[in-house]
Amino acid sequence: MKYLALTILMAGMVLNTSAHATAKAAFEIYKKDKSREKNKKIAHELIDGGFYFSAIPYINNYLEENSEIDKELESDIETLVVKTGTMAVLNLEEKKLESFSIPSIALILGTRLFNKDQLDKSYAVLSRIPETHKFSIEASLIKGTIKNLQRKHIEASNFYEQCAKKAGQQENAAGGEKNKRYYTYLNETCTIRMARVKLEDKKYEEALEIYEKIDKRSYKWPYILMDKAWAHYYLKDYNRAIGLTVTYKSPLLESYFFPEAEVLMALSYYNLCLWDDSLKVVDHFYDYYQPKADALKEILGQNKKSDTYFLDLYYADPKTRENLNPFIRNLITQTRKQVKFNLDLASLRSAKDELSLLKKLKNKNEFTADLEANLDSTINFISAKINYYIKKEIFVFINEIHKHSYSMFNLKLELLSKKRDEIYNTKADQQINRNRGSETNVNRKKNQYFFDFNGSFWADELGDYSFGLQSQCKEENTTENKEEIKDNESNK
Amino acid sequence: MKLFLILTLSLSTSFNAMAEEKKNTVYKYKEYEVIDLGSMEVKGQIVAPGDLTVNERERKVFKRSLLEKNNFDFENRREIENLR
Repeated sequence: MKYLALTILMAGMVLNTSAHATAKAAFEIYKKDKSREKNKKIAHELIDGGFYFSAIPYINNYLEENSEIDKELESDIETLVVKTGTMAVLNLEEKKLESFSIPSIALILGTRLFNKDQLDKSYAVLSRIPETHKFSIEASLIKGTIKNLQRKHIEASNFYEQCAKKAGQQENAAGGEKNKRYYTYLNETCTIRMARVKLEDKKYEEALEIYEKIDKRSYKWPYILMDKAWAHYYLKDYNRAIGLTVTYKSPLLESYFFPEAEVLMALSYYNLCLWDDSLKVVDHFYDYYQPKADALKEILGQNKKSDTYFLDLYYADPKTRENLNPFIRNLITQTRKQVKFNLDLASLRSAKDELSLLKKLKNKNEFTADLEANLDSTINFISAKINYYIKKEIFVFINEIHKHSYSMFNLKLELLSKKRDEIYNTKADQQINRNRGSETNVNRKKNQYFFDFNGSFWADELGDYSFGLQSQCKEENTTENKEEIKDNESNK
Repeated sequence: MKLFLILTLSLSTSFNAMAEEKKNTVYKYKEYEVIDLGSMEVKGQIVAPGDLTVNERERKVFKRSLLEKNNFDFENRREIENLR
């Protein structure tokens, strides 16, 4: 224990001394250098000393006034992109950014243009990144998405494949747990994209094979359940589609909300002609999601002008969080699992650490005062950004509920109409065998498991559930089918 | 002179009006008329609607648009927004 304390103390002292040396060197340049490259040199010193967020304004100022980027500056900007994300050239306008052709700026500009829906321009900018560069993985993913949105599926698939391959290589080569995890995330995202293109091309079996590559322990796994459920739905395996959507009801996945899963479940029951079951799901959707949407709308309305409310919810102690609506608590938990949120949160922590390090410096001067003021505003900016992110997530979620309420409304009308027809054709209804679940109705492949559902979810069974419901559709209940059912019953 | 002209004009119009009042208008109606409906005949052909004129069709069933998943644009865009 003593050794640990001593090591921490020593490390602190070394860190403090190096920070002090960096600040001193940067101050010397600040005071004496009158050249055009003054800001660049200050930024370099700061980056060298680990003051990444403090370096941002100097890099921005230099790029604002100059258009040449040498090797040293390129490497500094790359370091900043890795350490601070898109904040590295935050204050620069797109027109100015277009004049630079280095990969790090191309990635930031390309992403920015993509988010503004300027797809062709974004594609052209991202194409400047060489295939061998480390940022080419993200570039391939975005370029693939652009081609995907433009319905050029062959090109999109090629980009996704390149992205998955390169990410896989980097995953093995990367040092550090965080880096490794990020490349795994990219690899899985691109693999899922390949499967989605297959789904869009109606090649459902091929898509399902690709989805099998995603490990059950993966962060992305809960999200692919929806995709897989759609694949089974279009393959008319409605029982497995219901089984997959019901997985979201397990306690392990309680923080994941997918209103779309409810719609898909109701649609699957509908396609099995189980009108009452489908109606139950529709009614449950309104009972379950309506009050939640209202609660969220109220919170959004009350705190729409606050720059910190939602971030404070994240930082709130467990007791305060317990008092929150469980739904909002779960939504925050789900947001915490997003990569961007975590990166921004890590940035916020680093910026705060940097500020406390600056405040510990002994020799205070106008330069350190400038650094502190800049960092203060950077911290406020990151906080507001995270707060906005959570707010936006909640907003998107409310919109999702509204969108699917419309789908459910249409489905309910359709169900009521089917039920009315059933009442008119009572004879036909009487002929229907009201058999519920049976193993004979489960479609199973060699690589698919089958588990009985005994009222409890088991982690290793998640994602492999399938219902065994007999379709009640008249077309399918042909004489041959009925005879088969009778034979099965008599055999039992 | 003007006064004389006005007087003659007004006198001539009043004499005309008096002359018209004296004419008796006589209206004459048919005293008796018989219409024999039985003897009336309408010339033409009786044509019953055949198979070609009546189209037999099933009752229109209004299909409501149920949710379809044709693409993953929404999810894909959100993933890029969440990248960095």
